[in-house]
Amino acid sequence: MADFKKLNEKIWNFFASVDLAVALFIIISIGAAIGTVIPQQSDPEATIRFFSRFMSLNSSMKLYEIVNLFDLNNVYHSWWFTFLLFMFALNLTVCSIDRLPILLKSFKTSPQALLPEVLEKMPFKRELNLSANSKDLAQKLMAVLKDKGFSIFTFAHSDGVQIQCKKWIKTRLAVYLTHLSILIILVGALIGTFFGLRGSMNIVEGTSSNLAISDDGKAIPLPFEVRCDKFEVEFYENSAMPKAYRSYIKIIENGQPVTIGGKDRFIIEVNEPFAYKGITFYQATYGFQPAEHAEFRFTYFDTNNKEYRISANFEKSFQIPGTSVRASVIDFSPALGMDEQGRFFNMSSEMINPAVLVQFEYNGKKSEQWILAKIPETWQTPFGKLKFDELWGAQFTGLQLRRDPGVPLIYAGSILMCIGLFITLFLRPVSYFVMVRDNKITFYHPSGKGIIMREKEIDKIIQKIQKEA
Amino acid sequence: MSYHIISIAGLLYVLAMPVYIVYVLTKNNKLGYLATATLSAGCLIHIYGFIQRFKEMYAINHSFMRSIPITNLYESLVFFVLCLVIGYLFIEWKYKNRSFGVIVSILAGIIIGLTDLLGISKEVQPLVPALKSNWLLAHVTLSFISYAAFALSFITALLHVIMVSENKKSFKYIFSTSVLSIMVFIFISMIIDIATASNPRSVRIFHSTLGNQSMFISVLSWIFLVALVFIFWKFGDFITKTLKGLKINSDFLEDITYKGIAFGFPIFTIGGLVFGAIWADQAWGRYWGWDPKETWSLITWFVYAFYLHAKFIKGWRGVKTSMIAVSGFLITIFTYLGVNLFLSGLHSYGSM
Repeated sequence: MADFKKLNEKIWNFFASVDLAVALFIIISIGAAIGTVIPQQSDPEATIRFFSRFMSLNSSMKLYEIVNLFDLNNVYHSWWFTFLLFMFALNLTVCSIDRLPILLKSFKTSPQALLPEVLEKMPFKRELNLSANSKDLAQKLMAVLKDKGFSIFTFAHSDGVQIQCKKWIKTRLAVYLTHLSILIILVGALIGTFFGLRGSMNIVEGTSSNLAISDDGKAIPLPFEVRCDKFEVEFYENSAMPKAYRSYIKIIENGQPVTIGGKDRFIIEVNEPFAYKGITFYQATYGFQPAEHAEFRFTYFDTNNKEYRISANFEKSFQIPGTSVRASVIDFSPALGMDEQGRFFNMSSEMINPAVLVQFEYNGKKSEQWILAKIPETWQTPFGKLKFDELWGAQFTGLQLRRDPGVPLIYAGSILMCIGLFITLFLRPVSYFVMVRDNKITFYHPSGKGIIMREKEIDKIIQKIQKEA
Repeated sequence: MSYHIISIAGLLYVLAMPVYIVYVLTKNNKLGYLATATLSAGCLIHIYGFIQRFKEMYAINHSFMRSIPITNLYESLVFFVLCLVIGYLFIEWKYKNRSFGVIVSILAGIIIGLTDLLGISKEVQPLVPALKSNWLLAHVTLSFISYAAFALSFITALLHVIMVSENKKSFKYIFSTSVLSIMVFIFISMIIDIATASNPRSVRIFHSTLGNQSMFISVLSWIFLVALVFIFWKFGDFITKTLKGLKINSDFLEDITYKGIAFGFPIFTIGGLVFGAIWADQAWGRYWGWDPKETWSLITWFVYAFYLHAKFIKGWRGVKTSMIAVSGFLITIFTYLGVNLFLSGLHSYGSM
């Protein structure tokens, strides 16, 4: 039975130790660092190809086996990493339970007078000779200290007075607030993992979907449909630099578009998510994927500058309003560029400079012309001004979606952590031991660190006493 | 343009360096004031240049919260140096101690000078969609302020380790001289890398030295590195003696190391980790995703947490804690620059 108690104590002390905390800091760091170097959650071939950049193919394969065995290609979700985080949480909990009561108790016990020999052994000592008489001196010193917010305890000695003064002692509790906040954050993360959902969905312009794909490839049915009316990349003027990625979406529930605040069309941008029924949608990606229903949209201006909207499918001919000219789109380029020989080519797959090649047919004669959406000079055709507006239905928007009930805990934990850290590191407890003998004041401090600031504070206290003396 | 003004500030930092050196050798107070005046003048011009750049950004982005010029590598280095110099001047004023002004002025001058050499883009650019958020100001500014605080604590910690070590066979002596020599090597290597790169936009670190395609140059570089480490090891006690001759108080160095971390750690936590997590939550739909930048920030955080626990709970003193502070900043540098150079991830704004 005694042995059992001893073992129990040993285990408890192990989990309460700072050594374990430090060891965990180091091991978790190394594990996490490995995860930033080895490709995570990629297929075996890609990983082996990555290794083979540094070694022979044979050793790459062997290394991959080791990597696979220890889940090093999926570090952050591996059993051992989860275990380490769990140990970290346990260590924090046990450590706090172990130390907090002692600290609380120390607040309640009143301080004891220390022997002069003990004071003399302290690493910090500052002596000062004054002309005023001792009793007065002690009173003045106490007044100054009280003024500075210290709580004071005095003890009479045979040869003088011992004064112990303390300030901000309770700020020591803030460390436990910080530790608690880490636990809260970990609990929040756990709740998110078990009760939340994460997924993504790609929706082509003009289509809708109520199915998302979770990160591990499962289908997540949504209680409503998301329709993408339009996706656009806005570029800075005269530049290929994107300014905004923007999806225009509608939420369709029971066959009806949902209106919120009088609007039924919502905009999602990077940094501007949209939430409905606890599910938040984020702009994540996009791509080029022409659908059946894709159409080229033009504006035609006739001789009286009257505007006509025209939509046309690829290679389907349409009539120029008010004329007998027939036209059709026979080629498209998302980013038309011209090389040194004056030939056209595609600069990029992004819609930086969309252009269409339009074929006109008039009186049996055929002619072709490139019309660029961003270059007004190209809109002028022999048959009037034809402006190319956009190609619609050829891009998909990639939305990230999630529901995470753990987030409030994460925010609460984060705030607590900041408060705890600021108190712990900026409002450090201060305590001095002072001996007042005849005309001599001696300051002692049990620690040798932060000497310069301490000397400054003591200087200020001394100056004040001298002023009053 | 703002970067011309900032180059002038860099020049003043370089000028402050010899004055600081002569000051610490002669202890002439007038020279001390001159050194501080030169550094402060550089700092004021730097602030002016920063404000100008802010205005240039504002002219494009039309939003106060989104015009802070810390959106690419150049701007972040400029801001980092500004924080470093302001932080140092504050310490100098508060502690009336100019002992490590030499190193700060060298560092500040070199970094600003490097931005010229590196050929990194200095043009004011409009924000990419990912950075268009009001969290930009808080997250990025606070992160770099904490990096600067860690840098100051690194300088004093390294000086402390070098100063206290006497035995050439002791680990701390080997550690501190190696760190110093490797940093000098990386610095030289980077300059050659940049000077010989065909395209300044795609500089690969070590391509001209350790990782050179020619076996001969590669081996030669390794030999040079080893020789450099050896030279620093052999003659490192010269630095020790100089520091001792200057009567720098080792308690002062230890104290500043702690102050730098005690200030930087909560700022890093709130600005780097917490605000970063909130922003990531709003932009990408997750507060933590083990992105390399996030992961290395966590590692940095762990190292400084280790420092604080070693100091307060385990009662470590002196060189041991200073060595943690040195390692902490080496990891901070990796988080800041290394992640962008070597690893891919979502924080790619800081690449060249």
